[in-house]
Amino acid sequence: MKKLALAGLLALGLTGCSSDDPQVLNLYNWSEYMPQEVLTRFQDETGIKVIYTTYDSNEAMYARLKLLDESAAYDLAVPSTYYVSKMRNEGLLMPIDRSKISGFDQLDPELTGLDIDPENQYSVPYLWGTTGIGVDTADIEGEPVAAWEDLWDERFEGRVNLTNDMREVFHMGLRVLGYSGNSTDPQQIEEAYEKLKELMPSVRTFNSDAPRMPFLEGEADVGMIWNGEAVMGKESMEALEYVYPKEGVIAWLDSFVIPKNAKNPEAAHQFISFVLQPEIAALISEDIGYATPVLPARDMLGDDVAGDRSSYPSPEDMVNAEFQTDIGDAALQVYAKYWEKLKSGL
Amino acid sequence: MRWLSRSYLALVYLLLYVPIVVLVIFSFNDSRTGYNWGGLSVRWYESLFSNHAMVQAMWNSLWLALTAATVSTCIGALTALALHRYRFRGKKVLNGMLFVVMMSPEIVLAISLLGLFLLLGLKLGYVSLLLAHVTFCLPFVVITVMARLSGFDERLPEAARDLGASDFTMTRTVLIPVIMPALLAGWLLGFTLSMDDVVVSTFVSGPSYEILPLRIYSMVRVGLKPEVNALGTLLLVFSLAMLMLSQWILSRSKQ
Amino acid sequence: MMQSIRQQPFRAAVLVLVWGWLVFLVLTPNMLVVGASVMTRDPANFISLPLNLDAYRQLFNPLYLEVFLHSLYMAAMTTLVCLLIGYPFAWALSRVEKRRQILLIFLLIVPFWTNSLVRTYALKLILATNGLLNSALMSLGVIDESAQLLYTEGAVIVGLVYLLLPFMILPLYSVFEDLRQDVLLASHDLGAGRFATFKNVIVPLTLPGVLAGVMLVLLPAMGLFFVPDILGGSRNLLVGNVIKNQFLDARNWPFGAAASIVLTLTMALLMFAHRLSKRRLGEEGA
Repeated sequence: MKKLALAGLLALGLTGCSSDDPQVLNLYNWSEYMPQEVLTRFQDETGIKVIYTTYDSNEAMYARLKLLDESAAYDLAVPSTYYVSKMRNEGLLMPIDRSKISGFDQLDPELTGLDIDPENQYSVPYLWGTTGIGVDTADIEGEPVAAWEDLWDERFEGRVNLTNDMREVFHMGLRVLGYSGNSTDPQQIEEAYEKLKELMPSVRTFNSDAPRMPFLEGEADVGMIWNGEAVMGKESMEALEYVYPKEGVIAWLDSFVIPKNAKNPEAAHQFISFVLQPEIAALISEDIGYATPVLPARDMLGDDVAGDRSSYPSPEDMVNAEFQTDIGDAALQVYAKYWEKLKSGL
Repeated sequence: MRWLSRSYLALVYLLLYVPIVVLVIFSFNDSRTGYNWGGLSVRWYESLFSNHAMVQAMWNSLWLALTAATVSTCIGALTALALHRYRFRGKKVLNGMLFVVMMSPEIVLAISLLGLFLLLGLKLGYVSLLLAHVTFCLPFVVITVMARLSGFDERLPEAARDLGASDFTMTRTVLIPVIMPALLAGWLLGFTLSMDDVVVSTFVSGPSYEILPLRIYSMVRVGLKPEVNALGTLLLVFSLAMLMLSQWILSRSKQ
Repeated sequence: MMQSIRQQPFRAAVLVLVWGWLVFLVLTPNMLVVGASVMTRDPANFISLPLNLDAYRQLFNPLYLEVFLHSLYMAAMTTLVCLLIGYPFAWALSRVEKRRQILLIFLLIVPFWTNSLVRTYALKLILATNGLLNSALMSLGVIDESAQLLYTEGAVIVGLVYLLLPFMILPLYSVFEDLRQDVLLASHDLGAGRFATFKNVIVPLTLPGVLAGVMLVLLPAMGLFFVPDILGGSRNLLVGNVIKNQFLDARNWPFGAAASIVLTLTMALLMFAHRLSKRRLGEEGA
């Protein structure tokens, strides 16, 4: 009886699935990281419907992908730098068939063939950007903010926003102490924790869904923000400035990857090619404010975008910048322990 | 003293309703930023319905709530009847289990079901959501129906049986009509619980079947979205209509 | 004999269905959680052997214990505030004429039928720095510059109280309803003052309602993870957030499972206390 009922339910579910339009692409991406227009145009051109689901941290994305691995829930995901190598090493990814990707040769050679995926067998760069300091210049007085260290300034008490990203927050803490943001030394991590703990009374909120929002809502005046978010925020709040801290920004490259069990890898390849078209890449960069690795697209950008140091930093801005690397599970556990404690406001 | 207690009641009601009233008023606010009044407008309702993913999520949620409420009402009513009518071994255990489901924190139910579904290799989507929602609605239906049965004249079913009705016939012709109002109430409760659930759904849903509460959750996390006000107002009107309807049906069935 | 055979198929079908459902979707999953809590975290496959109690030991590690105590404190504050608002409210409600009571109860339940996420979000509109409360206070001249209300511990507690208040009021209302006027009169006739009547008669008689309310508020107040997400700025975490993070972000399933078992045990303890208080009342009444 029970089995029968279960079989009935399963059958119901299965027919529910097969009656779905077969041409669906399940895209798993950061929130607000793809203009709606691109999705609409892709659907108009190819007839493939994109289901856009979002996450707010690499950890959440990774955990969910692993969780739903067997059921082939996602066709395309966008992990940041070090998560590409982590997922590649763990065999979670499907090799990308280069013959089905057009426009790969137009990518910035400095952003392909990186250590995270030397041959780009598993990943295609989507956008790159930095995590720096956002400042609401209308609301602060005194010395301009120039360094991560300045967040500890007592004039910002209760006005600081941090991203809700364990690695980024500790990266900042470690840089302030002069260590590498990719440290695996428990001693250094603990020091960073102690340092960040001093910052906590100043911290108003952790936000990685849209770090510009606390600034726009008037809850925060200064804090960590992604460059694209600062650009987007400036549209409605002129006073929002993006600052490259002197200890160095956190740099990252987000890449398309296809999970091992993707149901519709064909559509995933099509989508990557679609996004690599210079016209589309330029549209994305203009709309959400991050830098595109597609070289011809950069020539198509308006001067206000191409010349915006927030989106396209100058070489001086990138002095001391550091890319995040995979630090291994043991170190991650150390970070996680202190992270939980920090966030509980203790 | 009487004056004091009346004004206290009024104050608490005021506090309970202020956020809801604010929500409804702001859903007609033309302003983008969300805090200032920018004139009357229905643009957020328009933008809500032009968003395909949103409309899809609405239908998904409605369908899920309908099916979950119906299945849990059927199983719950049978359970209540069994608990009321039959003596069987483990009756106390059954009762206890239902009580535990009702009282245990949603998050515990959520992770335990997630574990089960993963172990079975069940695809997270409509089926997993349905199983989970029926499970947390079940005890509420059972309690509602049991309450109705406990005030019910025991001699009626006996009389039916003496007249030669089988157990099934007796249930159909005597018991079901008696518990009808409770079934309706239980169904409604299940429907609301299902439409409202965030905690359990966060764990057991997959991208193939997106439902409204999770969609709202991701919108709300991003920041102030005037569309949320409009959606909230619609949900409020919808549940009020359902509540009125059920009251009307109940009062008619009493006459 | 005839009868029992005749009623057998229906009865059997019902019992199998109910038992099947509960065993399959309640008992088994809970056993799985207990099982997971004594296994070892595995970066690749979530959990693996060997069996041990590391997860529980981790729970009582001073580091996590603090996290738990803090979220327990917030849940307790929520419950206390609900009780302080709800107790006089339920009493006042039970004193209103019967006909109006039905309408008032209905009004109490209406917010409960509105999506809780949306209601939490509405609170954000009110509490934000540029929000309604600050604007109102500033235009009244009570404050000069915006107070920080949103993204604080207080905001989380306000949110939880707002969502859970009806769950405290309803059981309290039902005990006040049963509180017979003659008992109070008798107490008065026996020379007890108002305070003595309250302390010696009303409080003990309404205790089961208080405990039921506490049970209905305290447990959800530990689990509603979306409230700190929206009103607490992802700070001021609840046990629910910790469990969710362990399962969906940090992938430490044994630890998450152990935490949820502790939560379940808390529930069992409260239920036991509730039962005890009812039984004691029953004996005294006899």
